[in-house]
Amino acid sequence: MAVTEEPGKPRNWSERIGVLQDRIYDKVFHNYVWQSIFRSGYPNTPRNQMLVVATNVFLHLHPTRIHRTHVKITHTYCLGGLTFFMFLILTVTGVLLMFYYVPDVNRAYQDIAALETNVKFGLLMRNIHRWTAHAMVILVFLHMMRVFYTGAYKPPREFNWVVGVILLVLTLVLSFTGYLLPWDQLALWAVTVGHGIGGSAPYFGDETQLVVFGGYEVGPNTLIRFYTLHVIALPLLAAIFMAVHFWRIRRDGGMARPL
Amino acid sequence: MAVEAQRAAGPAAPARPRPKREREEEVLVWPDLVFVEFIAAVLFTITFTILSVFINAPLLNRANPVVTPNPSKAPWYFLNLQELLLHMDKAWAGVLLPTIALGFFAVIPYLDRSREAQGIWFGTKYSVRLTVIAAIYAVVVSFGLVVFDAGDRNLTPEFMPTVRTEMLTRWIPSCPEGTDHVGFPCLKDEAGSPHLGITNTKDISKRLEFSVPFPKVFGNPTSDGELDWPRDLGHIPVPFNNVDCCYGSLHLWKGMYLNIPDIIANQVIPLVTIVFLALLIIYILFRLGWVRTKRDIFIIMFTAVLASYLTLSLVGSFFRGQGQALIPPWEIKVDEGAGELHPP
Ligand code: HEM
Repeated sequence: MAVTEEPGKPRNWSERIGVLQDRIYDKVFHNYVWQSIFRSGYPNTPRNQMLVVATNVFLHLHPTRIHRTHVKITHTYCLGGLTFFMFLILTVTGVLLMFYYVPDVNRAYQDIAALETNVKFGLLMRNIHRWTAHAMVILVFLHMMRVFYTGAYKPPREFNWVVGVILLVLTLVLSFTGYLLPWDQLALWAVTVGHGIGGSAPYFGDETQLVVFGGYEVGPNTLIRFYTLHVIALPLLAAIFMAVHFWRIRRDGGMARPL
Repeated sequence: MAVEAQRAAGPAAPARPRPKREREEEVLVWPDLVFVEFIAAVLFTITFTILSVFINAPLLNRANPVVTPNPSKAPWYFLNLQELLLHMDKAWAGVLLPTIALGFFAVIPYLDRSREAQGIWFGTKYSVRLTVIAAIYAVVVSFGLVVFDAGDRNLTPEFMPTVRTEMLTRWIPSCPEGTDHVGFPCLKDEAGSPHLGITNTKDISKRLEFSVPFPKVFGNPTSDGELDWPRDLGHIPVPFNNVDCCYGSLHLWKGMYLNIPDIIANQVIPLVTIVFLALLIIYILFRLGWVRTKRDIFIIMFTAVLASYLTLSLVGSFFRGQGQALIPPWEIKVDEGAGELHPP
């Protein structure tokens, strides 16, 4: 608003500060470099606010306008968004962990132990990765519950709900494959339980164990398989399905609301 | 504001001027939504950073395939499957039931296509009530079944008389040793140990024995004129299991024999129980007049599946000790396995 008003002579200190603010503002947001990055002006007018959402690839996941009821925290509790945010944190911390970790049964455990003691913030990164992973599993369940109890799966959102179920499975499998990587007793035996469960599939038990776990018991093959799945295959799949998920929310006419 | 005024003034306008009104009900994503998202992200970042400063992720001893910790447990979100394994056939517990549950989730929107009450929390008339009842029912029933299936566990404090669900079937006599055909049902007891009733569903295929006279007609499984449970029924050939028909493992029942007692104890009984209990609650709520649409049925089922998923995970986490015995949380001690076997 201040920009469009006629700037009179400043009469007191607060007005002087106001003028200064406008100057700084102009220097920061109205220069050539800034405007080469952000095509729209600073989002302080409705026009710019819509432009910033429409022209920024990250914000573009959103529509430019949204129904009033959907902004209320109690409608979504941000659960889907937070699930996605956990995924982002996991990606960042996960990449950092990869710098120090080799998926070899002779090294994996030592690598994690060394990460905790010898690497600056290594322990913190590992902890954040671990706890946000648990949080993501919890959040995805809560998100599914919120979608269900708000009846948001109904037409035309049937397919996006199915995409959601796939994301739920991917989240669980991502978490499970990560569980093995520290190669400690907890990891080995938890995955051994899972290995047994996989082996109990009717008719395809052996095949499941061979293909997914790389053998009839949990060993070096399992570690490298789980590692590859955990750091590239599954995150990639999850990212693709998330892209579809978000795209479909927009295509299905935004979030569900009463007719 | 304008919308409210319009609504109040006009006498129930038949044609709703929708598009216009929608625009007025909308807010801009920036700042309204982006702000909320940003705050949520910051709060979570701070929370998890602080949490991670104070609580360390577990790291036990190096993995050692020859040292089995007792109990060994799956991650919490799969512990419910591990729990189910104790009560039924492993293929059902580990693979089929979870697959069915996920499949059920996936088809919900294709079966419930009404547009009633979408986009608002608990939009239909009795949905809160149904959700609460289904959740409580599922928690109580799944916990109850777990306890019931741990028949050798005393359910009362020590100073009170012992109550174990195995006592319900104590009246079935102990099997006499060394006899071939026992006739009336009996339960095999371990030599030298006191007589126990049925402690676990699996006992039905293992400890329970009886026999009925069975004439030697059309290739019956028994050769001695008596049909013995479980012995004579444990190895029933499936028709055509010896025919060479198809390529390799595509002949799914090649060389397949059925273990009838095992199927009854580990598949039929658990599954019938689950289906029966699910139908029961739906029927009761229906008779009460609270189930009016398909959505209501799905609310019950969805809620019950999630509630029992959670309950069984909690049982697995907090009530399973060594040898997967059912014990209270404070008695759980993990045996890390033989110490001297740890690698250097
Ligand atoms: C990695 C997992 C997931 C992520 C990152 C995710 C993300 C999101 C986000 C950000 C939204 C926007 C609204 C909100 O925040 O609630 C959303 C909506 C939705 N999600 Fe998910 N979701 C995931 C899993 C699921 C699951 C498991 C389901 C269901 C089985 C599901 C079904 C839906 C549906 C139907 C909508 C539209 C809701 C509406 O129209 O109100 N999603 N999701």
